[in-house]
Amino acid sequence: MTAQGITLAGRERRVAAPGLTLEGRGVLEERALFGPLTLALPAGRWTCLLGPSGAGKSTLLRLIAGLSTAVRLEGTVRAEDSAPLAGRIAYMAQTDLLCPWLDVLGNVTLGARLRGERPDSARARALVDAVGLAGREAARPAALSGGQRQRVALARTLMEDCPVVLLDEPFSALDARTRAEMQALAARLLAGRTVLLVTHEPGEAVRLADRLLLVERGGLSDMPLPDAPPPRAPDDAGTLAAQGRLFRALLGEGAPA
Amino acid sequence: MTSLTEGSAPELVDVEERSRRRRLAFEKWGKWVLPVLVIGLGILAWHLVVTLNGIPHYILPGPVLVFETLVKDWALLLDALLITLQITLMALAIAVIGGVGLAVLFTQSRLVEMSFYPYAVILQVTPIVSIAPLIFIYVDNKMAGLLICAWIVAFFPVLSNTTLGLNSADHNLRDLFRIYGATRWQRLRYLQLPSALPYFLGGLRIAGGLALIGSVVAEYVAGTGGVGSGLAFTILEASYRLNIPRMFAALLLIAATGVVIYAGLSFLSYMLLHKWHESAIRREV
Repeated sequence: MTAQGITLAGRERRVAAPGLTLEGRGVLEERALFGPLTLALPAGRWTCLLGPSGAGKSTLLRLIAGLSTAVRLEGTVRAEDSAPLAGRIAYMAQTDLLCPWLDVLGNVTLGARLRGERPDSARARALVDAVGLAGREAARPAALSGGQRQRVALARTLMEDCPVVLLDEPFSALDARTRAEMQALAARLLAGRTVLLVTHEPGEAVRLADRLLLVERGGLSDMPLPDAPPPRAPDDAGTLAAQGRLFRALLGEGAPA
Repeated sequence: MTSLTEGSAPELVDVEERSRRRRLAFEKWGKWVLPVLVIGLGILAWHLVVTLNGIPHYILPGPVLVFETLVKDWALLLDALLITLQITLMALAIAVIGGVGLAVLFTQSRLVEMSFYPYAVILQVTPIVSIAPLIFIYVDNKMAGLLICAWIVAFFPVLSNTTLGLNSADHNLRDLFRIYGATRWQRLRYLQLPSALPYFLGGLRIAGGLALIGSVVAEYVAGTGGVGSGLAFTILEASYRLNIPRMFAALLLIAATGVVIYAGLSFLSYMLLHKWHESAIRREV
């Protein structure tokens, strides 16, 4: 990890990150799927949605992103500053979503090119460096490992410099060590933005969340977190205890583990 | 991070490794030497069959005579070859423009696709020999008629493969492009066209051979030669004169042209894909 200690503050156009609220109910084929509920993402904080697969976490994220889902939202998604959200959202998914025909730099600067801007290649290089891939700028995704590809995806997400970042299980396909590194890296580089992290892993949620919501049967419930600020050490006693509580909650209250 | 994947591998010299390397080395030269050897043996067998049985040259000429004819009639054959090549390449070029253009149109409008795809299929499944006589009745210019025939045969694989490719862009990437606010044109230019490239190139390789077949078949149908006749007519004419060696020489040129077109398109495909596409990346097994 060559990125330790590098700050990108000097290069970044800091944008005030607004809080975000999704309000309403989700309807699937004329049947209510969830809600009515209110999902509030506090400004400049990490909000984690934790729940088993199929609980509707990703659907909530896609509704906020304005992507098509089978579920129709009867309600609103709005930012605190009441400006439109389009163009202010960055997105990172479980798969790296890299264009295989573009090299690392090309992928990182994709958003700029789509907006018809001249890509800031110095900044792109600095970000590639920050995610620990200096020297691999000209490599195609096929030449990179899964972890490296996800780093490129993170660099691209950062390159967008969007105040709102949506993460849909971005680390779940990585091995334990790479995942821990990526979590620390993301926590550091995405600090100050409004982040929504969707995950099915209690450990990850406890490590990174400022606010933790359990998604169950279409409802949301707030879960307590340790006092230490994120990113929390994965082996800290408070982290582990919170993780244990979450496991119990996931299994159903009071059930023996 | 990179040292794990890129560090120089230590020299492993166990038995398995050595046999694996030997196999790789064998495959490397065998790929070229074996086919050449097989063809050489085939020609030798042909030569022996002809000389040992004393087969007269007007029934089956030996390889030596065919080669001599190739040299002796070179001027005539070259002219014919150039005509055939010209029609083939022009037909291929129009097939690419038409095929890709229609494919793009089809993916942009479902309505257009539903309306016109059946016609493309009908054109494809109707044997060209049965359409060609009609074409030569309605089209006065012989060259244009040949081109139309070759195009009909060649454009379908480009169209169907490119359509498939344009539609198989990763839907997650489409989501990403939507979040980036990409326009329809940008999605086509930066996502769908690159995604379709490997499929298109696969179709192009088939179309290259088909364009040659189309131009040769069309010329058989067109019949009467005169100025500007290609290899097919050369074969036809030689058969009327019972000039069997020239028939073989022309046939040889057609086959060689097909192989060269295929090899050229394969090379093009490799150059465009070898850095990123699964089909062309060399992996250590």
